[in-house]
Amino acid sequence: MQTLREFTRKTKRGNILKIVREHYLRDDIGCGSDLCRQCFQNEVYQLTSQHEIRSTLFKCPHYLVLDTNVVLDQIDVLEEDVLRNVVVLSTVLNEVKHKSSSIYKRFNELIHDRTRNFYVFVNEHHKDTYADREPDETANDRNDRAIRLATKWYDNHLQASQSPKDLQRTGRAATRVILLTDDAGNRAKAEAEGILVSSAAEYVKSLEDFPLLVDKLSHKTFENEKKGLPQYPPHLSMKELLEGLRQKKLLQGAFQASRENYLEGSVNVEQFEKGILIQGRESLNRAVDGDLVAVELLPEEEWSAPSEIVLEEKNVYADEVPSEERAEDEKDMLKQVRAAATSAERTPTGRIVGIVRRKWRQYCGILQPSLIEDTNRHIFVPADRKIPRIRIETRQAAKLLNQRIIVTIDTWPRNSRYPHGHFVRSLGPLGDMATENEVILLEHDVPHCKFSDEVLSFLPQMPWTITEEDYAKRVDLRDLYICSVDPPGCTDIDDALHCRELPNGNLEVGVHIADVSHFIRPGNALDKEAGARGTTVYLVGKRIDMVPELLSSNLCSLVGGVERFAFSCVWEVDQEANVLGKRFHKSVIKSKRAMTYEEAQVIIDDSTQQNEIAKSLRNLNRLAKILKKRRMDNGALVLASPEIRFQVDSETHEPLEVEVKQMRETNSMVEEFMLLANITVAEHIATEFSECAVLRRHPRPPPTNFDPLVKAARYQGFQVDIESGLELSYSLDKCVKADNPYFNTMIRILTTRCMMQAVYFISGSLQKEEFFHYGLAAPIYTHFTSPIRRYSDIMVHRLLAASIGADSTYAQLLERKSNEELCHNLNYRHKMAQYAGRASVALNTHLFFRGKEEDEEGYVLFVRKNALQVLIPKYGLEGTLYLKSDKEGKDGLERTKSEIVFISMRRITPSDAATNVQHEKLIFRLVKPYIKGFSVETESDKTDAQPAATPPPPKKTKKDKKKK
Amino acid sequence: MAYVALSEAEKTYILHGVEDDFRCDGRSRRDYRPMELETGLVSNASGSARLRLANTDILVGVKTEIDVPNPLTPEFGKLEFFVDCSANATPEFEGRGGSDLAQELVLSLQNAYESPLAFDYRTLCLIPGQQCWKLYIDILILECGGNLHDAVSLAAKAALFNTKLPRVTATLLDAGITDLIISDNPYDCTRIGIETVPLLVTVCKIGDYCLVDPSAEEEVCSTVSVVVSVSMRNGEPFLSGTHLTGGGAMHRDTMRNCLQLGLSIGEHLNQLLTKMLKLEQERVGPKRPKTVGFLK
Repeated sequence: MQTLREFTRKTKRGNILKIVREHYLRDDIGCGSDLCRQCFQNEVYQLTSQHEIRSTLFKCPHYLVLDTNVVLDQIDVLEEDVLRNVVVLSTVLNEVKHKSSSIYKRFNELIHDRTRNFYVFVNEHHKDTYADREPDETANDRNDRAIRLATKWYDNHLQASQSPKDLQRTGRAATRVILLTDDAGNRAKAEAEGILVSSAAEYVKSLEDFPLLVDKLSHKTFENEKKGLPQYPPHLSMKELLEGLRQKKLLQGAFQASRENYLEGSVNVEQFEKGILIQGRESLNRAVDGDLVAVELLPEEEWSAPSEIVLEEKNVYADEVPSEERAEDEKDMLKQVRAAATSAERTPTGRIVGIVRRKWRQYCGILQPSLIEDTNRHIFVPADRKIPRIRIETRQAAKLLNQRIIVTIDTWPRNSRYPHGHFVRSLGPLGDMATENEVILLEHDVPHCKFSDEVLSFLPQMPWTITEEDYAKRVDLRDLYICSVDPPGCTDIDDALHCRELPNGNLEVGVHIADVSHFIRPGNALDKEAGARGTTVYLVGKRIDMVPELLSSNLCSLVGGVERFAFSCVWEVDQEANVLGKRFHKSVIKSKRAMTYEEAQVIIDDSTQQNEIAKSLRNLNRLAKILKKRRMDNGALVLASPEIRFQVDSETHEPLEVEVKQMRETNSMVEEFMLLANITVAEHIATEFSECAVLRRHPRPPPTNFDPLVKAARYQGFQVDIESGLELSYSLDKCVKADNPYFNTMIRILTTRCMMQAVYFISGSLQKEEFFHYGLAAPIYTHFTSPIRRYSDIMVHRLLAASIGADSTYAQLLERKSNEELCHNLNYRHKMAQYAGRASVALNTHLFFRGKEEDEEGYVLFVRKNALQVLIPKYGLEGTLYLKSDKEGKDGLERTKSEIVFISMRRITPSDAATNVQHEKLIFRLVKPYIKGFSVETESDKTDAQPAATPPPPKKTKKDKKKK
Repeated sequence: MAYVALSEAEKTYILHGVEDDFRCDGRSRRDYRPMELETGLVSNASGSARLRLANTDILVGVKTEIDVPNPLTPEFGKLEFFVDCSANATPEFEGRGGSDLAQELVLSLQNAYESPLAFDYRTLCLIPGQQCWKLYIDILILECGGNLHDAVSLAAKAALFNTKLPRVTATLLDAGITDLIISDNPYDCTRIGIETVPLLVTVCKIGDYCLVDPSAEEEVCSTVSVVVSVSMRNGEPFLSGTHLTGGGAMHRDTMRNCLQLGLSIGEHLNQLLTKMLKLEQERVGPKRPKTVGFLK
């Protein structure tokens, strides 16, 4: 049987076409139930009578048919292993696919899980359940009708199969089919047609055996909620939005909430370089970070400037109406806005009038303790400060109170200050290292599940041995004095070095990189998984590997004294480090020794040691210094970021001690040769594969990026020249203060923050001039030296191997499009891995300071209107020092506010204190200079002060005087 | 033109029949042969009709497209005719054999539809000067049994009546540029008014007499025919174009008689067609019909 589906479609060119598709109806689609004796069925029944679920609402055994809205809203309920015998109609599946691809993916996983008994019934192609669209019926109504039609058919079909006699004999009630829908209209129609129907919430509540499932219900409306006054302006309808966007009255962009001020955010719109500023709760209008929103630009006289206030939302409780507090916040904001209006820094400002697409995901966080006992309503505080608090309903608050939990947002009605959501799952106890790491990984979208069996199946068989064939294919370098230098505790050693004198007086330098591409063959599951992960993620005391441990810590790792495969890059250089020749080949090496930076340094410095390793290290070190100097003269930048290491307790994984990472000569030695190897390889693959080489570039930042740096330096009386990398590098070298040894590092930290992100790209996608790496001042660059922890390096290895004939090529290797997509993923993963690493350091800092109070020297990084951004070099810790902490302090500060602007980059000695355990917040207080009512009282200062505290520099006393 | 070989005796027989107002198939000079009409049978087209007039078989499909109006007539939409003489009709049409006939039919239709009084081109306008509908009227001749002009015009009119244009709303963008939004309901359509749409009536002169709806044999006997296009306005027939075919010439009085005959026949034909189309529409309803005769 055949029917036709007609619809009209608009083409890209603007033409309107009538499209007709043939639609075949079949009579051989089975119903999937083991009760049925009529349908043609496969042997496997999806709907079985074994799984019965007891509901107070429907006493008989039953199957469920879900409406689309139930799937979309209650996916978390469905994912719980409770509901079984569910009929999934193809109408519903298609609607879900169109509305939300992420939910579709999750739903699909459920369907494919055989243990869950979800049966997909292709009702659109069944001759009895196909619903042709009626005139004057909307697409939605038709789908609803199709769902009802199919439900009705199922019910009748099953009843026909169950003879009353059998039922009487077995004593079972007849199996019925129940439609779950949250659409009131559909429900009413279904009831009129005699279909058993219920809303998802009612049904879930009626389940006797699973009372906790109720928590996972998505709440569009909370019960007994006071019908409060609307707190937000209404959103425009989708039609109005699209029309507004088309007419360019509205602008569309991704909303980015401010990390510092919860009443501020910006929307990135193409035409506006800095994005459109959004200020105030009403203008923000329920946008959550990441949402695609439509913005209306305010008239120019209403434009405002970023407030530069650090504003954190205070605790509120689920039942309170926090009107006073809110009014105060808003008043503050307005004041700032008015103040800013006169200044020249005004930027385009707008207000959000509608949401084009929500980008809600699941959020990690904690439950805020409620004031009232025995309440079901709670406030959830997300770990990410950009996300607003979420109102949830749960019956297990007492259990969840000290746990990290995951919550998802369902809706944000106009009359609610916070979005409504529901509890998804718990990650574990608060403050527990494993839980906290899980939070970091989830928040940064790091794939961290165990490697699947399929992936592991591509690992080499153990015990792994090198065969004669391997020796024949590779260059044997086992006799060379190759050694590796790495940080202590490193188990994934991916580089080793050697240097020997040649008979002609020149030197031969070799960089040997673990040959990971030998083990990971293109296209298999292992390769795909590594490509998806993109990079190894390092958290404090934990490493999330890109490749399984067998490879990363054993077969690929160039550990000392063992034969390993390597990809070697060997140069012949003269004594002045001029490269005379280069060659690449795969090799077998046997590292003589795996050293730490410190050990290597000791060997170099100890002149009594005269063995081969020591000689080669000294030669390498000498060459590295020449190379470095040459690089600096070219305009490479020396950047700094506060880096620290934690000594982690091996049992509890809690940080014991903090130390700032030390830079030794040997660090720089290894770095120089890695850079040389990378650049050499980059040049080689770029000439061999002009269209598809994987390279890395670092774009030159736009001059405006340097504004904060130039401004800060000028306050301190230094001129920073940003014209070119070389000039910047020179002027940075000159920023030295005799009385403040850390000043230069501070300036470099600030410079680092002005930089753009370096990115991977495909050579064919850009012009040659754009290949430039700004930070290294290299015209071309790539990543070749860490294939164990970066996928980009594996790609480079494959390209290089193909170019020298050491390995076969494959189609995908040379395909630009797929490589570009891979690069996008790598850039994203790389960024996320960095953020995750930083978040992990921050977390450990919090844990370290738990219950501690310390006086440390700090430096002001940025000055905000009501706060100072302070950096404490000893811990590499950055924090906020709020200026308006109380009323008395206000007086003193109001007067000195203008002064404070000038102390940017001067020292302040904050005291650290972790107070609120629940929220894990570090509190900074000013110790010196002393400001009455604002700083910590002098007595406590004296008692708490550490002997290490340095005497205040002269300028500070001057300021103190002024104040008095 | 499809040629039917007739002997002199046969021709004479036909001629005598016309003189006696009793034609070979029993008709009078003002009679048409029976017709069979079905609309909406091609689901891929926006409108379609199939007409069978005795042995003449015509299929018409109307396709729609968005176009830019002619700058001289910014408020007018566009129409384009295309005639395809299928080699099924007669082997002579094979290759380019039918192109002359097709050209002639297109020209006479264009001529008839040319006046804005005959076809209201304003109904096809979406945004004056910017966007309009362009209708492609594709005519397929499946069988030739004489009187192609009349059959083609009848089928074209029926197909236009059947044409459903998706309802389009326009939104104004900046700088006067507009964008179109189509209704997502496939049943939400606009129709084309066919009141004034002209019909062609071929008046054929055989001997001293004029007759309508010549069969293929009669066409061979005729020396000249005039194709009269008749458009209805306020219930009155109007002439919207004429066109002479055949090799002969016509006397002024004969011409006048022919035109008058054409007009009166056209008026009658129009009434009947409109009535039948409306009847069919009521019977079928707004949903896609199950086709009955052809292309089942």
